[in-house]
Amino acid sequence: MVAIILDDVSIDIPIYDVSSASLRKMLLVRAVGGRFAQSGSHVTVKALKNVTFEAHDGDRIALVGDNGSGKSTLLRVASKVYPPTSGRVMITGEIAPMFDATLGMSMDATGLENIQIAGTIWGMTRAQIRNSVDDIAEFTELGDYLKVPVRTYSNGMLLRLAFAIATARDPEILLIDEIIGVGDATFIGKAFSRLHKLAERSRILMVAAHQDDRLRLLCDKAIWLSHGSLVQYGDIETVLAARAGERPISQSAGDAA
Amino acid sequence: MLMNVQDVKRALPTNTVPLVPAMSGPAAATTTDIVAAEIFDGFRAWRVWSVLGWDDIRQRYRRSILGPFWITLSMGVFILVLGVIYSRLFHIDPSTYMPYLSVGYVVWGFISSVANDSCVAFHEGSRIIKQIKLPFTTYVFRVVCRNFIVFLHTIVIFVPVAIYFKIMPTWNTFLAIPGLFLVVVNVTWVAATLAIFSTRYRDVQPIVGTIVQLMMFATPIMWSVSSLGNETLIAEINPIYHLIEIVRGPMLGAAPELRSWLVACGLATVGSLLAAALLVSKARRIVFWL
Repeated sequence: MVAIILDDVSIDIPIYDVSSASLRKMLLVRAVGGRFAQSGSHVTVKALKNVTFEAHDGDRIALVGDNGSGKSTLLRVASKVYPPTSGRVMITGEIAPMFDATLGMSMDATGLENIQIAGTIWGMTRAQIRNSVDDIAEFTELGDYLKVPVRTYSNGMLLRLAFAIATARDPEILLIDEIIGVGDATFIGKAFSRLHKLAERSRILMVAAHQDDRLRLLCDKAIWLSHGSLVQYGDIETVLAARAGERPISQSAGDAA
Repeated sequence: MLMNVQDVKRALPTNTVPLVPAMSGPAAATTTDIVAAEIFDGFRAWRVWSVLGWDDIRQRYRRSILGPFWITLSMGVFILVLGVIYSRLFHIDPSTYMPYLSVGYVVWGFISSVANDSCVAFHEGSRIIKQIKLPFTTYVFRVVCRNFIVFLHTIVIFVPVAIYFKIMPTWNTFLAIPGLFLVVVNVTWVAATLAIFSTRYRDVQPIVGTIVQLMMFATPIMWSVSSLGNETLIAEINPIYHLIEIVRGPMLGAAPELRSWLVACGLATVGSLLAAALLVSKARRIVFWL
C-alpha cells in the first residue's frame, strides 16, 4: 500500500548565520513567507506549521502557494529528507524526488557515464540503468553526443539528458518541485508528455508549481499552503478557485504565472 | 465545495487508515530504526558510494595522460628525494630507511587525506542530501572509498623499493591485510565524527587541517621510534603510530607488537561505537545544518 500521511507536522529550520541583528530579521520576515522564532542561540524559520493530510493510492496532488509558503519543505518531508521537528510522518512506497533534475551530473563525464552515475544516485539498479539507456538516447535525441563529455553540451542538451535520466524510473511516489520551464518549446512539450506518462505510472504524485494550467493537466487534488500552514486540501478546481478569490486581498503582487 | 482536513480524513475509505507500519517522527523513530537507516543501509548502498568515489577520482584526473598515477608519481618522487636526503641526515642505511619511509608515508597519506576530506563530506554531498534520503554514512564511505583507491595507486611505490632493497615477502607480510582493515575501520569512524562536527561547526575544518599537518611530523613516519632513545613514550601515546605500525611492520617483514594491535582494535571498537552513537543522535539534524 502506498501512502503519505502527515499528522500535525511542523518543521523548524535553524539558521545559524543570522546574527541577533533584529533589523535583518525584520526584513527577512517581510521577504519570506515563513515565520521566524528565536530558539536558544539561533534563529529558526517555521517552514511548516501543524500540517495534517493524507495521500493514498491514486492521489494526484498539486501544491500551490506563494514563494516561501512551504511547498518545497512539504515535498522534502514527503521525500524523507526533512525529519519532522514535531508531529508524525508515515510514508510507504518507493519515493522518487525530482527537485533538481541535474542532480549527480558530472560535467567532465560523457553522457553515457552520467547515465550510470546519476542513475545510481537516483536508486536505479545496474540492470535498470542498462535497460533505460536506449530509451534515454531516444528521448534526448543526443545520438553520438552521448559519447562525449557533457561539458560540451548546450544548456538545452544537458537539461534534456538530465531530465531523461531523472524520469527513467518507475516510482511509486513521484515528488516534483517546479515543472521544467527551460528549453525550447518542442522540448517543453516533449518533456511534459514524458512527465505525464511518468505521473500516470506512479501511484501518488505531488507537484509544486506556479503554472495552474499545467497543474490541472497532471492533478485532480490540490493542497494550498500559506506561510507554512495548510489552508485547504481538496479538489483542484475548488482550491484554485478559493485561492484565486483570496489573492487580491491578501497579496498585493502575485508571483504565480 | 470547500473541504478542510477533517472532511478529507472522514471521506477516506477506512481500509486506508491504519497508521501502524514505520511511523517516523520524534515520538516514533526508535534508535534501532535510525541505526538501520543510517548505518546498515549505508553499507548496503555500496554501489552509490563506490560510483561517487570513482567519479571523484575520474573527475580529478580526466584528460591527463597518467590519470590517478600522477599521485603515484608525485608521491614516489617525494619519497625518493626525502629518502636519499634524510637517510644521510639521520645516518640510517637507505636499505632500511627507504622501505620504512615509503610504507609509512603512503599509509599516512591515506589517513591524512581521509581526515581532511571528511570535513567536507556532507557539504560535497549537500545537493544529494537535500533531495534524496540516503544514509549519511554513504557520504562518509564515499570519502573513505575515494581515498582507498588513491591508496591502492600509491602503495605500488613499495614494489620497486622492495625489489631494489631485496625485501622478500614472508608470512608476516600477510598480517598487513588485517592491519590495513583496522586502519580503514579507524579512519571511517574518525571521518564520520569529523563530518558531523565540521558540518555543524565550520571552524572544525581548519583545526583538523592544522592537526593533520602537525601529526605528520609528530608521528614516526619520516623518523623512527629508535631515534627517540629513552623517550619512546612520545610515539607510544600516539594512536596514529600504532595504526601505521600494523601495516608498516608486516610490509617490512616484521610482526607488529601486540600493543599496536590492541590499540588499533580497541580504538576501532570504542571509536566506532561512539561515532555511531553520535550519528544516531544527530541524524535528524544534519540536513538542517547544510
